[in-house]
Amino acid sequence: MTLTVRSESPTPERSTVWLEGRLDAETFASFDETMRDITPLVDNGGTLVLDLSALDYISSAGLRSLAVLRKQMRDRNGRTLLLNPPPQVRKVFEIVKAVPVAEVFASVAELDQYLDHIQKQLTPPRD
Amino acid sequence: MRLRIPNRLEDVFAALDQAAGHLARHHIDEACRADVRLVLEELLVNIVRHGYPGGRDGEISIFIDIHRDHVQLKLEDDAQPFDARGHELPDLSGDIADREIGGLGLHLIHNIADDLTYVRDGNLNITIARFCPTLPDEPSP
Repeated sequence: MTLTVRSESPTPERSTVWLEGRLDAETFASFDETMRDITPLVDNGGTLVLDLSALDYISSAGLRSLAVLRKQMRDRNGRTLLLNPPPQVRKVFEIVKAVPVAEVFASVAELDQYLDHIQKQLTPPRD
Repeated sequence: MRLRIPNRLEDVFAALDQAAGHLARHHIDEACRADVRLVLEELLVNIVRHGYPGGRDGEISIFIDIHRDHVQLKLEDDAQPFDARGHELPDLSGDIADREIGGLGLHLIHNIADDLTYVRDGNLNITIARFCPTLPDEPSP
């Protein structure tokens, strides 16, 4: 098996998906299929986190899958955030300017901080 | 290393694994192995998907030569003429979700190979890409 996709205890607000292996012309179709089951579980306005720390490799076929995912999430006012891409994946993202740098995080703590910040902006302060 | 494969996707993926194994056995560093794999995947998938309109059978030869200071990848295929260098690069402005997705593979090939050459010889496309790995005896930058 060249790509493993794992999702654990998603909530309607936030779902994390772990990718392990290679997201390329060989594996993107099964990835797309798996994500078709997962993304509807995230509410409109929710956050999809892709943990890429175990993703060894991505090619243009994988980039297309991620672009489609981002579009689907955004069309529902949601967001797709990327966690900890290894050097090869980061390099490919940078070459094609795949994602805004502000949406790539090096750690869960950094990601939580960002989401807290967004949440505070959305929630009016109490008196 | 020389591999000769038919123009089918399943053979492309098997060839990618063989090429990766060959580079690993010759102690090419991980970053360079990934670069070669990526360029090889993009080139081969492109040839198989677009090179044989009408679905005729074709043959692709893959040569990987490991030199002291670089890795050379050479492809010979009997697909219709295609120069990976001569194509308009995609518009990389804005969010990837909004873009026309074509051309990303070619853009990656251009940026990742250290050198890319192409000649048409008779009915063959000959594409050569070079990669410069980090040599183990090189001082770190």
